[in-house]
Amino acid sequence: MDFTLSDEQEMVRDTARELFTKECTIDFVRSAWKQPTLAVGLFDRHLSDWLELASADAVDLMLFALEHGRAIAPGPFFASLLAAQVASATGRDLSGSASVAVSGSDGTWTPNEDATKHFVPSAADVDEILVVSGSPDAPRLALVAQAEVALTEVEQMDRLRCQYRVDTSGVAAGESIDPAAWRHALERSLVACSAELIGVGRWLLDASVDYAKERVQFDRPIGSFQGLQWMLVDAALELERAAAAVSYAAMCIDADDSDRHRAVHGAKAEAGLAARACARTGMQVHGGIGYTFEHGLHYWLRRAYAGDAFMGPSSHHHDCLAELLFDT
Amino acid sequence: MKLSFSAEDEAFREELIAFIEANCPAAGYSSGDFIGTEVSDGDGIMVIPDWAREWQAALFDNGWMIPAYGPELGGRNATPTQTLIYLEELASRGIPRSVHFVGYAIAGPSLLEFGNPDQRALAPAAIRGDTVWCAGMSEPGAGSDLANISTRAVDEGDHFKVNGQKVWTSYAMLASKCLCYVRTDPDVPKHRGISALIIDMDTPGIEVRPLRHITGQAEFAEVFFTDVLVPKRNLVGEQGDGWRITMGALAHERGGLWVEGVAGCQRSIDDILTMIKSRGRDQDKVVRRRVAELYSQVRGLRALGYKGFASFAQGTSAPEHSFMKVATSELHQTLIELAMDLQGAGLAVTDRAVAESKGRWQQSFFTGLAATIGGGTSEVQRNVIAQRVLGLPRGR
Ligand SMILES: Cc1cc2nc3c(=O)[nH]c(=O)nc-3n(C[C@H](O)[C@H](O)[C@H](O)COP(=O)(O)OP(=O)(O)OC[C@H]3O[C@@H](n4cnc5c(N)ncnc54)[C@H](O)[C@@H]3O)c2cc1C
Repeated sequence: MDFTLSDEQEMVRDTARELFTKECTIDFVRSAWKQPTLAVGLFDRHLSDWLELASADAVDLMLFALEHGRAIAPGPFFASLLAAQVASATGRDLSGSASVAVSGSDGTWTPNEDATKHFVPSAADVDEILVVSGSPDAPRLALVAQAEVALTEVEQMDRLRCQYRVDTSGVAAGESIDPAAWRHALERSLVACSAELIGVGRWLLDASVDYAKERVQFDRPIGSFQGLQWMLVDAALELERAAAAVSYAAMCIDADDSDRHRAVHGAKAEAGLAARACARTGMQVHGGIGYTFEHGLHYWLRRAYAGDAFMGPSSHHHDCLAELLFDT
Repeated sequence: MKLSFSAEDEAFREELIAFIEANCPAAGYSSGDFIGTEVSDGDGIMVIPDWAREWQAALFDNGWMIPAYGPELGGRNATPTQTLIYLEELASRGIPRSVHFVGYAIAGPSLLEFGNPDQRALAPAAIRGDTVWCAGMSEPGAGSDLANISTRAVDEGDHFKVNGQKVWTSYAMLASKCLCYVRTDPDVPKHRGISALIIDMDTPGIEVRPLRHITGQAEFAEVFFTDVLVPKRNLVGEQGDGWRITMGALAHERGGLWVEGVAGCQRSIDDILTMIKSRGRDQDKVVRRRVAELYSQVRGLRALGYKGFASFAQGTSAPEHSFMKVATSELHQTLIELAMDLQGAGLAVTDRAVAESKGRWQQSFFTGLAATIGGGTSEVQRNVIAQRVLGLPRGR
């Protein structure tokens, strides 16, 4: 077992970090909150090439998604990346941006026959929609132009990545796909989401540690108060454990290890809960300044909670894990 | 130790309930959080709606604004026990007395306690809500360390010249007066060089820049003072009395807050019970246990509040009350997260059309985050408890 990154993997991480540092600054994020079309520009100009990660190692996918979360990148890239997983696993080609319509009202990516699909990310900003239906053992896939479905925005905390209810009743039934290929795309998508949440938590923790070093009250940095140190240590512990669980899940997928089914569910649950914990701690450590809209901490807080819910909340992934532990 | 209230106190309760039912407008029964009542115009800047002005004035005129005061101050000389009944009846219905607490909870009581006769004469309008007040305490360099304020007031004979900046000043964009803490003497230890001034917000040299909460609504603001001339007669108490007055002001702010804290938790746990039944989760053993565990915490805190209140009413010290702000604000956050988690994948949905209870929980989540920060952070409260209740040595 080796948790260190290879030279190529380090390059993926560093390139991603440089890209986001340059193109996705906090000022850009603030503008994109008010004007979502800016985020589409970010996709077109800087991110669309990275959809190739869909057929790369899961570890590379994880490294990129983590930086994406750290930068709180807005727009249709992430939805497209998940769609590209599904396309790549099932031998389809996407022309550009896309999203996956599969969830029922429970938010989980369990193929079902409901014509209404829920929690479809960025649906208004993409070219194509992958409609997945059927059942987990007999999934079907239809690739349609976005204009062929009816969209309703459902407002949720994270306005940087809107979600939609999609009416697919006008879409033809689609072709059968291999359940194992669907499962593979699902697991890689879970790794991407988990990694993004780790990036979100990482930003929150780093920003809070930096702030605790700078902010002076009672003539000393607030980070010198043990009460505050222990809060930050607890958040760091949760985050590190979750980050390791996500790395492990990615490595399991690349090695086709039999532990991968358990590992991905554990990773998603851990990552969601860790990001939420970092958000709460970050808010508390920042005090009044963190509570202002202008500061921007809330962008990460919002994605931590919205991200925990996306592709099924932690409780769902714990249930899936419990099923694997007890029932198989 | 006994549970029941006297017949006289029960009669007080009946009269209050009759008054509320006859006079409180529908909008007064806030569906959101008690402390999180926010009403704003199209730009997200807070406004005080007409119903709130009228309701506060009606409470005052009928002796129901601050029952412990005399009728001239919006009260009816109520006993402490009656005040407790009053606070509970309002809070359990989610009815605010006012949508801007500074005037009746901080400025009015502080002026009555520390002001000269002219200043005391400002109290009735502050309590009735006719004059909107803000409290200028926090500054960029003085949050938890309130004594560190650097807004400077220089004595120039018949007036002070004020320069500096306040921040997170609730209602500053609506207020006509500010109870403002300034440094009058930079050469003595921090706590001793502070004075309290009444500053008219339309004085030249004051600039108010609204700041939005993370909810997007502007309830507080930054306030900048540039060569603002404040007449000497607006000094409250003596020069250097400021710290004593802030401590009094914070005590006024905190006195009855625990009742609202407990009532907020109680309303949330009651709503959670209803939600669980409506979602058919009421036979789930794990859910039942978790709710029972939190329910008993809410009831335990209520009892602890009563216990402190009883000693307070008998004139002895009430260390129990030090626990109440930390405990209720943190328990409430836990309850809100549980309620969101019970919504499964909908936990982050804020859309009023589809979210559980029109997004009440997601809204409470954001407002609830402020409860462990504003009015003294949970960490600072813990320091106070460690030293004053447990008698531990001062640490770092
Ligand atoms: C919604 C809202 C409304 C407000 N309204 C007003 C108002 O009307 N008027 C007004 O004057 N102020 C107002 N405030 C400001 C509020 O009083 C301050 O935010 C609060 O006192 C904390 O100060 P700070 O934000 O500077 O945080 P800091 O003091 O910088 O604290 C940052 C972190 O350090 C921790 N910390 C600080 N000191 C210690 C210590 N000794 N030991 C351990 N940890 C420590 C804190 O707990 C916190 O986690 C409001 C704040 C909010 C959120």
